[in-house]
Amino acid sequence: MTTAEAEPPSNDHRAMLRDSVADFVARAGDVGRARRLRGNAAEYDRAVWRTMGELGWLGILVPAQHGGLGLGLAEAAIVAAGLARGLAPEPYTAAAVLAVEAIAGGDNEEFKQQHLPRVADGSLLPVLAWQERAGEIETSGGETQAAPFEGGWRIGGVKRFISGAAGADAYLVSAATEQGIALFWVERGAPGVTLEIEPLADGRHFGTLRLKDVTVRRGHLVASASVAARAVSLALDRATALCSAELVGVMTRVLDMSLEYMRTRKQFGKAIGSFQALQHRAVDLYIQRELASAVLEEVVTALDRQPDAARRALLASRAKARCAEAGLRITREAIQIHGAIGFTDEYDAGLYLKRAMVLAAWLGNAAWHRRRYSALSAKAGL
Amino acid sequence: MSPAAQHTDYNALSDEAFRAEVRAFFERHYPENLRYILRRARWQEMKDWWRMLYEKGWIAPNWPRERGGMGLDASKMLIYAEEIERHGIARPPDQGITQVGPILMQYGTAAQQTFYLPRTLSGEIIWCQGYSEPNAGSDLASLQTTAVADGGQYRVNGQKTWTTLAHDSTHMYLLARTDRQAKKQEGISFFVLDLKTPGITIRPIRNLAGHEEFCEVFFDDARLPRDALVGGLNQGWTIAKALLGFERLNIGSPRRPQYALRRLEMIARAKCLLGDSGFADRFIALKLDIEDLAALYGRFVGQVRRGEPLGPDVSVLKIWAMETWQRLTDLLVEAGAEEGVLSGVREFAGVKADILTSFYYARPATIYGGSSEIQRNILAKHVLKLPS
Repeated sequence: MTTAEAEPPSNDHRAMLRDSVADFVARAGDVGRARRLRGNAAEYDRAVWRTMGELGWLGILVPAQHGGLGLGLAEAAIVAAGLARGLAPEPYTAAAVLAVEAIAGGDNEEFKQQHLPRVADGSLLPVLAWQERAGEIETSGGETQAAPFEGGWRIGGVKRFISGAAGADAYLVSAATEQGIALFWVERGAPGVTLEIEPLADGRHFGTLRLKDVTVRRGHLVASASVAARAVSLALDRATALCSAELVGVMTRVLDMSLEYMRTRKQFGKAIGSFQALQHRAVDLYIQRELASAVLEEVVTALDRQPDAARRALLASRAKARCAEAGLRITREAIQIHGAIGFTDEYDAGLYLKRAMVLAAWLGNAAWHRRRYSALSAKAGL
Repeated sequence: MSPAAQHTDYNALSDEAFRAEVRAFFERHYPENLRYILRRARWQEMKDWWRMLYEKGWIAPNWPRERGGMGLDASKMLIYAEEIERHGIARPPDQGITQVGPILMQYGTAAQQTFYLPRTLSGEIIWCQGYSEPNAGSDLASLQTTAVADGGQYRVNGQKTWTTLAHDSTHMYLLARTDRQAKKQEGISFFVLDLKTPGITIRPIRNLAGHEEFCEVFFDDARLPRDALVGGLNQGWTIAKALLGFERLNIGSPRRPQYALRRLEMIARAKCLLGDSGFADRFIALKLDIEDLAALYGRFVGQVRRGEPLGPDVSVLKIWAMETWQRLTDLLVEAGAEEGVLSGVREFAGVKADILTSFYYARPATIYGGSSEIQRNILAKHVLKLPS
């Protein structure tokens, strides 16, 4: 406790990071860029992604010996929240957190040596393909099967709801083997691999990956059955916390927009922000934002101390339950506060609502995380 | 005089050592039957405990050591408050310690300090707060009780109400109007007075829980001596406002809702309610609301520990803590079903609980100390910078 409270240098570097993300988002075109890229099959801009790599952000969670910065979720959360404030369409949490953690949690050191530096510099963009059914976040590998043969593995199955898949170079596919779930590296366009993309509310996409007799060479077994389940569940929990950070970024920006609107929009000869009914409504949204950011801060700090798996899952669920609920409420009510202009496509509030909806649903929604929290805390006797 | 405190520098102890010492003392000496009581404790029940803390030199953790207090810094104060909450120690009539003492030290004359401070410490003088009036609740500054200078005295007329434990008190600190022409905040003065002064009548008011905790106090030409005035004439509003921050942090502590949650969980378990998905969903949402309150509380605590002043945003804590506590007791009544509306302490498969009293005492939590609506006004104006 006492050491964590006084660390001015680290707080300084975090403040600098926050500023540089804000600058970057502004210079890259802010919400206007997100608006332009809506519905575009490429979804995001690889040149912007490379720049983020050059700035070191994609390597925040990559261990230093593999070309990264070896920092924690606290720093990654600053980047995720900052990018989300400008609705950047790049898959920061999906690739730089979820995929990176899955690879780093694997047991293929040679693979890490070869691939992680390229992930960190942005030249290689992988995403995790583990989910098969809506509303189920399990790490068993589902119905996707991998069978060994002389040169490697043959994989068949279907993975769904893959965030960031549209422009990804490779997929980390979980599949059941005789020894249990393992994680494989499947490259885009490899024989037997097809990707379909489905449009999301926020103009981005979920990918569906179909694998038919896809061969994966032995060296591309990213995590063997002895570690893969653990690596995937760790990656999911940590990415869930970062998805929560994105939600905090989204809700903070849209709350600021709404408050500014309340200060300037006049009706009945007065700023609408002077009406008590609206003031109290705004305060309730502010309370939710404060709760969400306090929980996020506590959870991210606790996760960086490497808690055991049960505690880690509880923390991740707490963060997502609050941030998803608060994010949805604040973005929905932002529409109401803005009135008819809030319902137009031209105004940005709707873009924030849509992003919040996608983030809230991805990696387990609030209801799912409350149920998991309930089950886990009952088990832990809390 | 309180013997021990002047000599011990508690701030020199490590946080852990201080916490251990406080906890051990509380656990050893505080009467078991007064732990976690829901109502306000009466002076008769608390006077032995007061005496014990006084003799230990611990009755005034916030007062400087040279005044007979413990002289705790912010971080140690917080630990002291946390241990009180943790052990479920009832609040004695402590407004002399938390309010009057600090005000007299800052604004009182040497004579006022010499007379009142030691007697407040020892419990010889028990203070109640004469602020609210029938027509001045949330809008306190519109109070109408008057104090008129009259031949070296002040003549007081009017009525105070919601005066907690006035019938257990010997003295009152009073806000009264001394200038009818001035803007409403600027015509108020701060007085201290003996409740035995002729012309003062105290009438207890029964609350929803059936207890007589607060009172009406009537002033009918009560004559106060000139030295009843504290600070300058018409400075009362400034004086009263000076001491608000720390109280709102205390009121936002997650301890009370956490305790209520454990009771609810035990009853829910005894009645097999956690298997009912409708109940379980609401229960877990509340549990998370309280966990998240603790995260928010921790943030403000960190601020106090670093020696930073609390801003108006601390109102968030009071709103969330009290409204969450209320929702929790609502669910408690629902969990009890028919048994939830039975009076008194009942047993639910071995778990003793007084559901109705819990429910009742959560009601005024969103009214006292600045109602939830007033807190929202404060946040809208001073934090969200919304126009008025």
